[in-house]
Amino acid sequence: MTAAAAVGQTSWDLFLSSLWPLVRGALLGTIPLALMSFAIGIVLALVLALARLSGNRWAAGVARGYISIVRGTPLLVQLFVIFYGLPSIGVVIDPWPSAVVAFSINVGGYAAEVIRAAILSVPKGQWEAAYMIGMSRRRALARIILPQAARVSVPPLSNTFISLVKDTSLASLILVTELFREAQQVAAFSQEFMLLYLEAALVYWVICLALSTVQGLLETRLDRYVSH
Amino acid sequence: MTTRLHTPPVLMLAAAVALVLTGCGADSDAAGTSGAAGADDSLAAVQEAGTIVVGTEGTYRPFSFHEDGSGDLTGYDVEVITAVAKELGVTATFEETQWDAIFAGLTSGRFDVIANQVTTTPERTAAYTFSAPYTFSRGVVVVPADDTTITSFDSLAGMTTAQSLTSNWYTLAQDAGATVQGVEGWAQAVALVEQGRVDATINDELTFLDYAQNNDAAGLKVAATTDDESESAFAFAQGSSALATAVDEALATLAADGTLAEISDTYFGADVSVSR
Repeated sequence: MTAAAAVGQTSWDLFLSSLWPLVRGALLGTIPLALMSFAIGIVLALVLALARLSGNRWAAGVARGYISIVRGTPLLVQLFVIFYGLPSIGVVIDPWPSAVVAFSINVGGYAAEVIRAAILSVPKGQWEAAYMIGMSRRRALARIILPQAARVSVPPLSNTFISLVKDTSLASLILVTELFREAQQVAAFSQEFMLLYLEAALVYWVICLALSTVQGLLETRLDRYVSH
Repeated sequence: MTTRLHTPPVLMLAAAVALVLTGCGADSDAAGTSGAAGADDSLAAVQEAGTIVVGTEGTYRPFSFHEDGSGDLTGYDVEVITAVAKELGVTATFEETQWDAIFAGLTSGRFDVIANQVTTTPERTAAYTFSAPYTFSRGVVVVPADDTTITSFDSLAGMTTAQSLTSNWYTLAQDAGATVQGVEGWAQAVALVEQGRVDATINDELTFLDYAQNNDAAGLKVAATTDDESESAFAFAQGSSALATAVDEALATLAADGTLAEISDTYFGADVSVSR
């Protein structure tokens, strides 16, 4: 579609006709990218959090260094290092895996601190009670501490996930076709930048609203197991 | 509870979108019938401010770039628009932005003009006001040196090329049947060709020649050249014809006194400001 073609149609038509490309970008790009990266990132974060809390100085140091680097550098720079930088040392990764790697690494760094704080928020008495009934440290962690920490970490981890959903728009800069790239493509040909950017904002917002709702449900559900 | 709290903002955004929709509709109607409704104060506004705000990439050698990568902004387009501003009796202020955001910046009034080798196309001339051309060049298909499959624009069918979304090279590649990957600019596009991630990229021959002069381009070659000469001009928001006319007069003066040829010679060793 060219600008000349766009003259014949109203903005409302353009809004409607571009809605599907944007939603498709969300379904094929934004959402799977966010889900995949979050799943990997959370596993990474749990390992990092436990490493920081462990008595092993070396493991704690590595985790601390990792978190410091991830939180101290911009996500866009991390993406570019992986996608445009690594090929200079012979490592060429495709756009999608590059994006998943970068986002997972990033989520890992941020969520590690959330999980660490959540674990620390469980009263010491819970550990002691678990040891008293003969549980090992590992078993106490899995059965007593982590379930309680999980409940505490739902709001901050939801924050991390919602941020991630929006951060995936940066993947458009390393050739991943997602929601924002679709919007840019339509805007490039229709020259209707304001309309398309607002439309993209609207779609992101609807996705994040749905996520907030899921967060609310999750909180309510996990609350049932808490005695006040 | 959470959902209820969020409902009013949704309505607000919906209202904002609706406003834009109706606003845009009105705009294109006005543009379609009579150009601009109000008087054209584009030139007066620039003269009053004493400065013309120029949108440019700052990463597009040799047209708009930073000396040694981190020095002052310079380049063929930067020097030409600076000379033009001087003719107009104002100074040029540069705003650097990514190519794909440049037209959005012009439309939203962030710059008065784009000086970044904007090639004139029918689509663009319908949407923007252009000055007289100040660069004449051809498009080239850049491929890896060991590639033997791409020999013409037609052989791009089924291939993958890297282009800026809003560039005319994007349209050219698409018309040739290529799958186009959108990138931010020449630097990324040429990196992708060298890394073997795309088959080719189309760009200005002057850009490629400059790249080859300043980098190790042994891994690259030109596979084809367009027959048509493309013309680059300064782009203005639609309706800024008073400013565009003044810039045209300035360009004519600079062509007559040899300034354009001189600037061109320092960058290309030839006068690209006239058709060859």
